[in-house]
Amino acid sequence: MKYGMIAGLVLTAGLATQALAQNVTIGVIAPTTGPIATVGTRQLQSLQYWAETANKAGGVKGKQVEIAHCNDEGSPEKAVNCARDLISRGVALLINCSVTGPILATMPLVVNGPVMLTPSPNVIPAASTYVFQTSPSDRSQTQALADFLKSGGVKKIGMVAATDSSGEIGVRSAQEVYPAAGIELNLARIDLRATDASIQLAKVAQADVKVIYSSYSGAGAASVVKSYNNLGLELPLVISYANISDAFTNLVKDEMPKRLLGTALKSVAPALLTADERAAYEAFEKGFKAWRGQQVDMLTLTGAMLADTAHAIIANVADPKDPKAVKTFLETTPIKSIQTLKFSPEDHVGLGKDGVAIVEFKNGVWVEAAGIK
Amino acid sequence: MNPVTQAIYSGLMAGGVYALLAIGLIVAFRTSRVLNLAHGETFAVGGVTAGLVAGMGVSKFIASIAALVVAMLYAVAVDQILMKPRRHLPISSLILITLAAAFLTRGVLMVAAGVDPLSFPRLFVGPPIRFAGGAIPLQGVALVAIGFTAAICVSLFLVRTPLGRKLRATAENPDAAELLGIDTDRMRLIASAIAGLLGGLAAVLLVPLTSIDYQAGLGMTLRGIIAAALAGMSPALAVVGGLSLGLSEAFVTTYFGALAQDPVIFAILIGVAVWQTRKIRFGGSQRA
Repeated sequence: MKYGMIAGLVLTAGLATQALAQNVTIGVIAPTTGPIATVGTRQLQSLQYWAETANKAGGVKGKQVEIAHCNDEGSPEKAVNCARDLISRGVALLINCSVTGPILATMPLVVNGPVMLTPSPNVIPAASTYVFQTSPSDRSQTQALADFLKSGGVKKIGMVAATDSSGEIGVRSAQEVYPAAGIELNLARIDLRATDASIQLAKVAQADVKVIYSSYSGAGAASVVKSYNNLGLELPLVISYANISDAFTNLVKDEMPKRLLGTALKSVAPALLTADERAAYEAFEKGFKAWRGQQVDMLTLTGAMLADTAHAIIANVADPKDPKAVKTFLETTPIKSIQTLKFSPEDHVGLGKDGVAIVEFKNGVWVEAAGIK
Repeated sequence: MNPVTQAIYSGLMAGGVYALLAIGLIVAFRTSRVLNLAHGETFAVGGVTAGLVAGMGVSKFIASIAALVVAMLYAVAVDQILMKPRRHLPISSLILITLAAAFLTRGVLMVAAGVDPLSFPRLFVGPPIRFAGGAIPLQGVALVAIGFTAAICVSLFLVRTPLGRKLRATAENPDAAELLGIDTDRMRLIASAIAGLLGGLAAVLLVPLTSIDYQAGLGMTLRGIIAAALAGMSPALAVVGGLSLGLSEAFVTTYFGALAQDPVIFAILIGVAVWQTRKIRFGGSQRA
C-alpha cells in the first residue's frame, strides 16, 4: 500500500514535470481597461490569436503556448505589481503592451531576466538590458515625418502634445529633430482630460504653419480632430502612431479633416512591403479576420510582430527562460515578421526610420501619403 | 486666430457643461446633504447610451432623448435603490456608497459598451461661427445657450417656485419639512431626477464635440464638485461657479500652458474654501 502510494506520487510528479516541459508561459502586461485600453486590448488580441493558432498546429516546437495576461490599466504601480506577479509565476518571456510610464517602471524588475519585449516607440532600451523594443522609436518616426515635410518644402510645423510621459518624449524628439531639419516648431500642450483642443490649435495654427501634428495618443486624441473641425482648419493634420486604429477612425469619421495623415508602421500600407513581408501580412490579416471578425489595424500589427518575435524565440532558443541565450539570439538573428526586425548588440530597437511610413486616410483605408504642397 | 477670443469660446463651452453638472450636484446635495460622487456617472451613462443608440443607426435626436431618459432613470435608481434604504447611516457612509456606485457604474458601462471611446453626430450641424478672431461650432453655441439657460432655469425653479421651496425645505430640515406635510422622499426623488436629467443633457451637448468612454464619470464629478464649491453650494451661484471654472481653465491653458492647469485650479479652489470658511475661523460674520 505504502509503496503503491509512493509510486503514484512519483508518477504524478513525473507527468506534471512533463506537462510543464510541454508548455511555455508568456506573461503579457496589457491595459485592457483605462485610458489606453484600445492599445492594450488590440495588441493582446494579436497575441491570443497567435497562441491559439500555434497551439492548434501542435504548438511551437511541440510546446503549447500559454498567455498569462495581467491588466495594468496603464498605471505604473499596477504594471510593477503585474510584472512581479508574472515573474514569480516563472514566465519565459514578458511582453509589455502598456504605455511609457508603466513600461519604464517595470524595466528595473527584469535586470536579471526574463527578456521583456515591448512595442512602445517611446522606450529605447539600453543594449546591456534584457529589454527589446519592436517598433520604430519616437525619434525615428519624428525623423521620418521631418523628411516627409522637408521634401514638401515645409518650414514650420504646429504640434500638440499631451502633458503625460509619452507627450514629454514626443516633445523631446521634436525639439531635437525639427530644428536640425530646418523646420521651426510651434508647440502647445494639452491636458489628458481636456474636452476641447481649440485653444492649443489656435495657438499653433499660425499663418505660415503648413501642417499640424498631434502626438497625443489615446481616447482624448479625438478631441484634437474634432476641435480641428470646430475651428474649420484646412491644414493637413498628422496623428500619432498609436491612433492609427479602426477604433480611432470610427470615432472621428464624421469630423474628418481635409487631409488626415499619420506616422505608422510601413505595413499599414502593405503596398510598401517586400514580397515576403506582404505574404506574412496577408496571412495574418486573413487569419485574424477569420478568428476575430474584424479588420487588422496598426495596433494588431504591432501585436503580431510581438507574437512573431516570441514565436522565433521559442522555436530557436533551447531554453526560452534563459535570458542570456534569448538576448544573444535576438541580437544576432533578424526576426521575420510583417516587417523584419533587426536587433543588434548595440541597439535593442528592432525597426528604424525605414520601418516608418507617412500614411493618409483615404476612402476608409490608410495609404501612402502624397506630399504636402 | 486670436488665442484670447478662442480661450473665451472654449471657456464658455466648458463652463456650460460645468454649470449643468454643478447645479445637478447642488440640487441633490441640498435635498439629501450627501455629496453624490456618482453624479458624473449621469454624464457617462447619458453619453454612452447616446453613443450606443446612435451606433445602431437610430436618429441622433432619438439617441439624445434616450440618453436623457437613461441618465435620469440612473440617478433615480441610485437614490431609490442605494440611498433611500440607508438614509439612517452617517453622511460619510452615504458618500462612500455613492463612490461605490460610481465604480460599479464604470464596470457596467465597460461591459456594456467596451473599452473603446464612443461619440455620436452633432445635433447642430454647420460651419463654425467666426467672430473676433475665434471660431465656435454651432453645437458649441447650442451648448453655451442651452447649458446656461437650463442651469439658470433650475436655479430659478429652486428659488422661486413652491416645489423648489419644498425641495430646499427638505434640505434645510427634513424633520421639520415632514411636520409641515412635505413628502421628503418624493422631494429627493424629484431632486435626483433633475440631477440625472442635467447630467444627461451635459453629455448630449458635449460628447459630439469630443468623445466618451466608460470612465468619463469621475472626472466630470470632480469638475462638477469644483464648480459647485466655487458657487458655495448655492443653486443661485451654480452658473457663476461653472463659468468661473471653465474660463479659468481656458485662460490658464492659454497663458501658462496645460501643465499649469491643475495647480492653478486647485489653488483657486483652496482659496475659495478658505474664504468660505472665514465665518467659522473668525467666529462670526462681523469680522468676516
